[in-house]
Amino acid sequence: MAATAVLHSEWIKIRSVRSVSGSLAAILLVTMAITVLTAATVGRAEADDAGAEVLFGAFYALNFGQIAAIGFGATAISTEYANGALRVSLAAVPNRTRFFAAKVSLIGAAALGAGLVTSFGAFLVGQSFMGEDAIGLGEPGALRAAFGGGVYLALMALFAAGLTFVSRSAVAVLSVLIPFILIVSFVVGDVAGSAADYLPDRAGQLVLHQYPEGAIGPWAGLAVTAAWAAAALLAGWWALKRRDA
Amino acid sequence: MTSIDVHELTKDYGGTRAVDHLSFQVRPGRVTGFLGPNGAGKSTTMRLLLGLDRPTSGTATIGGQPYAALPEPLRHVGALLDPQAAHGARTARNHLLALAVSNGLGATRVGEVLEETGLGHVGGRRIRTFSLGMRQRLGIAAALLGDPAVVMLDEPSNGLDPEGIVWIRELMRRLAREGRSVLVSSHLMNETSSFADHLIVLGKGRLLADLPMRTFLESRSRLRARVRTTEPARLSELLGREGYRAVPGEDGSWTVEDVKAEEIGAMAAREGIPIVELMDENTTLEQAYLDLTAAATEFASAGRQEG
Repeated sequence: MAATAVLHSEWIKIRSVRSVSGSLAAILLVTMAITVLTAATVGRAEADDAGAEVLFGAFYALNFGQIAAIGFGATAISTEYANGALRVSLAAVPNRTRFFAAKVSLIGAAALGAGLVTSFGAFLVGQSFMGEDAIGLGEPGALRAAFGGGVYLALMALFAAGLTFVSRSAVAVLSVLIPFILIVSFVVGDVAGSAADYLPDRAGQLVLHQYPEGAIGPWAGLAVTAAWAAAALLAGWWALKRRDA
Repeated sequence: MTSIDVHELTKDYGGTRAVDHLSFQVRPGRVTGFLGPNGAGKSTTMRLLLGLDRPTSGTATIGGQPYAALPEPLRHVGALLDPQAAHGARTARNHLLALAVSNGLGATRVGEVLEETGLGHVGGRRIRTFSLGMRQRLGIAAALLGDPAVVMLDEPSNGLDPEGIVWIRELMRRLAREGRSVLVSSHLMNETSSFADHLIVLGKGRLLADLPMRTFLESRSRLRARVRTTEPARLSELLGREGYRAVPGEDGSWTVEDVKAEEIGAMAAREGIPIVELMDENTTLEQAYLDLTAAATEFASAGRQEG
């Protein structure tokens, strides 16, 4: 059984369920919509604020795009855990590590592709509304932030995918991760000191700052998020290997 | 090469033993009925055969190999487990295509099995719009994708209309005629007797019977009559003289094996023995099967007959 055959099969599965392919598209669509809305309305006023971080502000909409990325990672896996679908899948591909690897690499690649387009797109489109306050990709840290933002989105999708392999439910993963990102991390992140820099979302978002302040640098922050994703995936792989399907 | 071999297979879930030292073989060229009440371990055995669940001990192999060792397994084994397993948001064609592609099969083959199972005109429809019978046919289509030498179907006639039941019966018989090993589980004896050549009966995870269908039918369709008389001593002596075996029942009646009621009536009339009750008491197939499995739940005894 060729690995490419399994990849092809998994790609058919992703594109043939609308809720999965829809959340992949939503990463781009939601981010662009929020970017256009905010940039066209409050963008220039924010940019005039002396304390504002223009570069970080340019990626404001990724906060919403990451919800779609998490939804994509979770639903792409959870479709296997409805009504014993996994049994049919594993009967076709009994090598669980190969099955897992194909699914995860496809989710990672799709989310990375969508994430990079989203991140660069949000930056460029958002700045087009900023008139003379606009910054370009030549701005110090801008290229790193745009690229890192795309990688960040892919990592969040993989983080959610790993957790869904463990919990076997997208609802469980989404109802923990989304409040965590919207509330806990948001509130705690501003209050707490260096420990909050190691939360999966806060760490990864350091790459979006022009001059990240905190215990770790932008790339190290992204690496921390990657470590969270890797840990979730490892747990997911172990759960898939060990459990009866 | 294409037989199913189960050897001393045991599976515990928590503290419950679902399959208990089960051994049997499914040979090619015939339909093997896999019978047992719900919870007897039929589905568990099939999951163990497909490598989906890990056995506590023992082995389950196909053509001498564990399922997971088969390259492109759908080309060797086709299985229908749960008709609800297909994701409702997918079209039937995409569901089959995802399975086919992973085993190096193409869209042409998907079209063929859709036609073969009578779903050709609904291949583009989402599975959530399907009736249980259509999902059952889709599951069978998936099982046939790789033209496998071994076919395992778990309760395939669930939800099928009468026409569908005739169709699946003919399909299973044809698959067996083509030299495939066909294992079909059911909890209904009469249904199974309409298509199976061989029977494997489970009760509480243990093997109760492993014998040809014909042997089962012959052993279970013996004549038997029940008789009640006011002079049991004379009747008993008469029956003994004629070579019949009479067993007294709890309610004062006698059960006589291998005889029709009318023969007893004629004999008793000749001898002038008064009869107050007389009737044929043939066990039905369903009753014989229920007796067999009911005994298992009480005594949990296992018996094995070579087929």
